[in-house]
This record gives sequence, C-alpha cells and structure tokens, in this order.
Amino acid sequence: MTTMLSVPALASPGWANAFGNEVGKGMRELVAGWRAVLAEMITFPVFYLLIVMFMGRGKLLEELLVPVLIGLVGLAFIHEQINRVFWSYLGDLQSGVLEQTYLTPLPSAVVVLGRQVAAVIGALPVVAALLATGFVAVTVQGGMFPFEPAVLVPAAAIVVGTCGLALVLCGLTLVFKRIESITQASVAVYAIIGGTLVPLSALPDPVAAASRALIPVAPGIEAARAMLLDSATLTDLGTVWGLGWLLLQPILLTAAGVVVFNRLERVAKSRGTLGRY
Amino acid sequence: MPAPAIAITDLTKRYGDSGPLAVDGVSLTVEPGSVIGFLGPNGAGKTTTIKILAGLLSATSGTASLGGFDVVRQRASAMAQFGAVLEGSRNVYWTLSSWQNLIYFGRLKGLRRSAAAARAERLLTDLGLWERRHEKVGGFSRGMQQKVAIAAALIADPAIILLDEPTLGLDVAATRTVKDLIRALARDEGKTILLTTHQLDVVEELCDRVAVIREGRFVTDLPTGTLLSQFRKHDHYEIRVEARTEPVVLPDGFTAARGDEDTVITGQVQDGDDLYALIESLRGQGLPLRSLAQIQPNLEAVFLSLVEEPARG
Repeated sequence: MTTMLSVPALASPGWANAFGNEVGKGMRELVAGWRAVLAEMITFPVFYLLIVMFMGRGKLLEELLVPVLIGLVGLAFIHEQINRVFWSYLGDLQSGVLEQTYLTPLPSAVVVLGRQVAAVIGALPVVAALLATGFVAVTVQGGMFPFEPAVLVPAAAIVVGTCGLALVLCGLTLVFKRIESITQASVAVYAIIGGTLVPLSALPDPVAAASRALIPVAPGIEAARAMLLDSATLTDLGTVWGLGWLLLQPILLTAAGVVVFNRLERVAKSRGTLGRY
Repeated sequence: MPAPAIAITDLTKRYGDSGPLAVDGVSLTVEPGSVIGFLGPNGAGKTTTIKILAGLLSATSGTASLGGFDVVRQRASAMAQFGAVLEGSRNVYWTLSSWQNLIYFGRLKGLRRSAAAARAERLLTDLGLWERRHEKVGGFSRGMQQKVAIAAALIADPAIILLDEPTLGLDVAATRTVKDLIRALARDEGKTILLTTHQLDVVEELCDRVAVIREGRFVTDLPTGTLLSQFRKHDHYEIRVEARTEPVVLPDGFTAARGDEDTVITGQVQDGDDLYALIESLRGQGLPLRSLAQIQPNLEAVFLSLVEEPARG
C-alpha cells in the first residue's frame, strides 16, 4: 500500500485564477507594445477613409461610410485576434516558454482561452479608433451615426467565432510552427469574401453560402448591416440564414476549434513539437 | 510507505512510425527526498525521458508518474507537485520583470495572487534579485536569468524538481549560487531533485545517486558512492616524492611525471609486497616520500567509461 505525496494548497477554483492571470499578462503585453497599437489605431482609420474615398470616386460618400465601417470593424477584430494570438503563441514556442505554461495543474484550454480574451481586448483600441473616425466622418457629412444596442449581439458572434478560428491556427502552430503565410492568407480571404468590403449579397451564391457557413465574421457583419442600415431587428434580421445561424455559427466554430486544437495538441505531444522550433 | 517521487516503468518512445527508439524500455524509481543525477551523452534519450516525465511528450508505451500520480491520466495532481527548469529554453518571459514572471507562473500553477507574491518575495530575496525585481528579465545576465527560471520553477513550492542543465553557461560564482540552492533544497527542504547536466563535478558533489542512459537504455543506476567504488582500481596507486633532477628508476608498468615540487609516480602493483618493494626502492634512491594514495576515479572518468563501452546487442 502506498500513499500519495501531499499536493500543495492551490487556489480554488484555479481555473478562474489562471484565466484572469492570462488575460492580465495579455494586457501587460498590450501596454508594453503600445507603439504598435498606436500605429494600428492610425493606419486602420486611414485605410478606412481611403477605401471609402476610392469607392466613392474621390468623395467620402455618406452612404458608403457606415457599410464600410461595419465591415472594417469585423475585419479589425479578426485581424487583431488572429495575429495577436498566433504571434504570441509562436513567440512562446520559439523561446521555449510555452512548455513552461504546460507544467500546470490546469488544462491548456484555460491558458488559450485567456489569450483569446486578451486578444479581443487588444483589438478594442483599433476598433474604437475606427468607430470614432466613422462617427466624425458621418457627422461632418451631416448624417446621423446609427447605433442600436442589439448590434452588440452580432459583434459578440464575430468575436466568439473568431476564437474558434484562432484555436485552429494555434493548434496548427503547435505542429507545423511557421504557418504565418496561412494566417495572413486566411485574413486576406476573409477580407475578400467575408462580406467585409463587398456585401455577401453581391457575391456569387455559392461563395456567399460558403462564407456564411465558414467565415466567423460573415453572419455578424451581414446582421449588423441589416440592423444599422435597414432597421432590421434582432429577431427579424431579414438576412438569408437569420438569427439562428448568427448565434449557432460561432458556437459551432468554437466547438470545432476546441476539437481541432485538442487533436493537434495531442499530435504535437506525440511528435515532440510542443517546444521545439 | 510513501509513493516514489518519480516512477518510470518500461518507458519507450519512438518518433514516427518507423523511427528508431529514442527511449527503449527505461524504468526508474526515485524515492522522495533524494537527488538523482540523470546523465547521458547527447542524443542518449535524456531529454525525451524528461519531457515524457513532464507530460510534454507522449510515450509510445510505458508509464511515468510523479508522487504516485500518472503524468497523463492524473496530470493535474502530478503537475501540482512538479517544477522544472528545462534546458535550451528561456523558461520565463523576458519581456516581463522577474516579479511579474513569478506572479504569473505562480497563478498559472494555481496559487492565489497573495500566496504567489509572498513566495516570490522570499525566492527573489534568497536569490539576491529582490532589489531588481521590477527590471525586465531580458536585460539580466545569463546567470540572473537562470536564477529567475529556477525561482519560477519553485514558485508553487513543488516537492519534485527537475533541473535540466541548470548551470549551463553560468560563470563560477553563479554556478556556486545554483549549487548551494540545489543543496539547500535537497538537504533543508527535503525536495526530490532530478538533475541533468554535463558538468559532472556538480553531480558528484550534489547527487545521492546517478543513472546513466545511453542509446535509450540505462547502463547504470547506482548510488554515487557505489558507482565510484565499482570503478575504483584497487591496485592502482599514485605516489608523490620530492622532485629531483636525476631520473627515477622504476619497476615496469610505472611512470613518473616531474612537477615543480613533486614527482608523481603512477602505476599498478600486483600485491602489497610489490608496493613495499617500490617504496624501498624509492627510499634507496634518496627520494623523500610525500604521499601515497589509491587512485580514485572521478565521475567524469566513470561516465566516459560507461558511455564509451561498446553498445550492447
């Protein structure tokens, strides 16, 4: 008969503690990288105004300002979330710190989830800069900047769905390491066919269907445009797949992300790529 | 009877479907409170074994447990009593300060912030880093960075500590600090320590026991004293006499090396009579005897003889 060694007293519940810890680290990194954040807070609004101007043949047309803004806000979330999580993950892998984060009684999912939330918060300054620019531009044009509190639902759907995508990319990073080309290409694909700049209604039907099904920002942007531009309500969106899909898609994407991440994590542990660069 | 601090049973690891076995049926049991040196040449299977033990790599077959908890099936309990400094990696965030790192890793290991802060203060004070706790680790010297890594491994006060090359790249003073820390952890706090290093003097000084792995298999696993005594050559002697300019006449099988003060004579004797005869011969040549000793092999010589033996079939 043997007895176990005593286990040191841990905080209970440790999950919330570690989750908050990870978010806190993400915030410290955000503050430490304030110059990069500031640069993005300038470049994203500049791109926004340039896009609207080019689409309007040199004029900031009021009818373009809000639709493009909605698309770019979605794109900013996906760009910031994916890049922040991917690069922090790759950096930790390269430096070997990631292995230390696995020497914990807590599941790695808690750490990854904390990184995701930190990335979402990290996206907020850029999104705020975009919204502020859009507000000023619309107001200067003499228009009314639309706001509907319920639009936070599609915004949340975008954020949650993107977490699923980021989980897949993190899992791929564990196994294949340098996948930045895939990461960048995926963001570009979402920009082109995700309904960010070109509305899904203007895309070929099969492409629009694939976009609604698979791209985390597509249903959210489509719903936000319907609510802010066409006065649709949350329960009567008038979009092709409606509220049900708006809520279901991010859940499915995140569930798929968790499954794929866990599978790839097991592959990484089998191949020994968890800490090798 | 307490569970072994570390238990590895019939562990094998093959990378890929047809790759060679990196670890081939390794078994090891380490009792609580002992310090074991885990040695082997590069590519012998040390890192693979260590990573399986840390739950960072899955084994092809066999089991590994920490404090009686399986590292795969009871991972949370196993990791709750485990801390590690891994070789060849930073172990901590260089963009954060040592204080931020210790708080982060403490909370990651499940400590409340207040508990992590109290422990961090003690560790940083003991390691002489308290005054610089708010500086980024990236700006520290190699020795200070290694101290922070060790402190991070100890933040949750684990019972079992794995130190993979903890003195690699450190200067003499930093190496001494780390050695003193390991000694204190083992002797004063009763920690179980698995130490891997190529600095065998560190192992000889600190470890109760030595296990040597070669080509994925243990070639020895013995208490340090027993291992050294097994390699002791009872019939080999070193005799020091006063240095003279005249050549020393010696029996066959002996050699003499003249130093500034002593001439060192080494060789093998058949029995005690041979030894007495040699001493008489030296006295007859008018060479004052300074010392006489059996040649004691050090761990480096033992290690080299173990890893350079022809591989077993």
